[in-house]
Amino acid sequence: MMPIYKLENLKKVYDERTVLDIEDLKIQEGEIIGLVGPNGSGKSTLLRILALLEKPTEGDIYFRGEMAVFEENKHRKHVTMLLQNPFLLKRTVFENIAYGLRMRGQVNRLTEKVYDALNMVGLDPGNFSGRKWYQLSGGEAQRVALASRLVLRPKVILLDEPTASVDTASGHIIQNAVLKARDMWGSTLVIVTHDLAWIYGVAERILSLFRGKLIKEVPENILAGDWRPYGKGLSALRLSDGQFVIGAGSLSPDSVAILDPEDVIIGLEKPAIDSALNSLRGTIIEMSLENGTGQVLVKVKVADRLFTSVVTGCSAENLRLRPGTAVFLHFKASAIKWMRLS
Amino acid sequence: MDYILEGIIGAFQLLLSGHEETYSAVATTLKVSTLSITACLLVGIPLGFLLGYRDFPGKRAIRAVVDTLLALPTVVVGLLVYAFITRRGPLGEMGLLFTIRGIAIGQFILALPIVVSLTASAVEELDPKLGLTLKTLGATKRQVALSSLWEGRYSVMVSAVTAYGRVISEVGASMMLGGNIKWHTRTITTAIALETGKGQFSMGIALGLVLLTLAFAVNTTVSVLRRRA
Repeated sequence: MMPIYKLENLKKVYDERTVLDIEDLKIQEGEIIGLVGPNGSGKSTLLRILALLEKPTEGDIYFRGEMAVFEENKHRKHVTMLLQNPFLLKRTVFENIAYGLRMRGQVNRLTEKVYDALNMVGLDPGNFSGRKWYQLSGGEAQRVALASRLVLRPKVILLDEPTASVDTASGHIIQNAVLKARDMWGSTLVIVTHDLAWIYGVAERILSLFRGKLIKEVPENILAGDWRPYGKGLSALRLSDGQFVIGAGSLSPDSVAILDPEDVIIGLEKPAIDSALNSLRGTIIEMSLENGTGQVLVKVKVADRLFTSVVTGCSAENLRLRPGTAVFLHFKASAIKWMRLS
Repeated sequence: MDYILEGIIGAFQLLLSGHEETYSAVATTLKVSTLSITACLLVGIPLGFLLGYRDFPGKRAIRAVVDTLLALPTVVVGLLVYAFITRRGPLGEMGLLFTIRGIAIGQFILALPIVVSLTASAVEELDPKLGLTLKTLGATKRQVALSSLWEGRYSVMVSAVTAYGRVISEVGASMMLGGNIKWHTRTITTAIALETGKGQFSMGIALGLVLLTLAFAVNTTVSVLRRRA
């Protein structure tokens, strides 16, 4: 099947600083992609490029098999993006939602389409369609912003932290509405969110970005910091509570230490230690079921850092893991990998 | 002090009795200001939009010139336009001197920098998310530009109303280009200047009250629009 997006050797450079560097990425039509990574990792830049709003400095991007056009809206009219902070045009709710259709000249059954979109985001058309942009709460404004995109029945919906600045109820409605759009029209969803429990639950694929690079299609633990030689070819990172993370090899200035969550084993007790084995004391703060795999992603706070581990549903049940449970994270020093950033 | 009180009482009598000469000056003011502001908006809004929306070489220099022209003295405008439309001037044959159209040209030149500068500022101050939002809704370049102007409409209206305020209250250009001819080119401001000089306080105060009412309406409109913008 032809992917809806194909990115090849894509680079984005701002002021001689590479903020995005993706060798190869394909996104299939109708796929739900979660995009995760720390602040400044290039998530929003990637979204703007996928939205065809910003041209990459180098590389090619294909949209449904054709070289993507940035200057015109030939491809862009099939893609829409919802920004983090709700932004509405200075018009009524009805006119905000109708805007995209009017720009396309699709004014047939306009009222019906606008009302359907309002219903999709849980807003009563009779009550809301005549309201002015300043007569809405933050959550309502974001739902109207989403409705103005859903009404276009886009091939791709890009969401940049869509629920970060809204109340919980609106957040749930927004999440459900985009999933419904995907079910109804097969829209491809690319979602940047900090709501990991939700995104791991619904996404078919998670892309993890760090300093502009795709690390691997699972969430990695990134252990940036002051790594120091620890003897015998080992390096150590001292955490704020005095515990050490031990890694095999040494960190070069242009590398960062990463740890695959699948290499991290969770236990309730501290085992006999040898110098190559890490055993970090921490507390579970979040657990979420990974979509389709039956695996559970466990987020553990160790000192001031978060570690992610993957366990099977069975193990989670046997160990009676719950948020708040004190646990030990075990991993070999050789599990620490050094990833070059340049 | 009695003459002030008498003047105020007389002013109300003039206004309430529909004194023709007073209302002629009001009508002339409204006529000439409508003419000048309409022409000014037709030219100034597109120019201001281009100045605020597009990037081009020399944009900063043009902006600096336009901003400087905001403080253009009315008598200097009067002098310059006079030089062009006087019988000996390059446009002398058009017979514009001492006509409403002559005053309107002067007022147009006075108001144009206001409309251009404030419209440009209005467009520049639009939320950067606006362009992004319009593009994500599938608007073409032209649609983005037109929708941006529409989104800044309240600020653009502020520029129009501010320019109108300047036009109705100026006296120098109207006096020099209109000649303050009774029943013909006498505006509120030129009439006030003349009647006060003649010691006719009542008519001066009456016209002053009309001008103040207009200024109040203008300012109220500006403040309402600013809240919307």
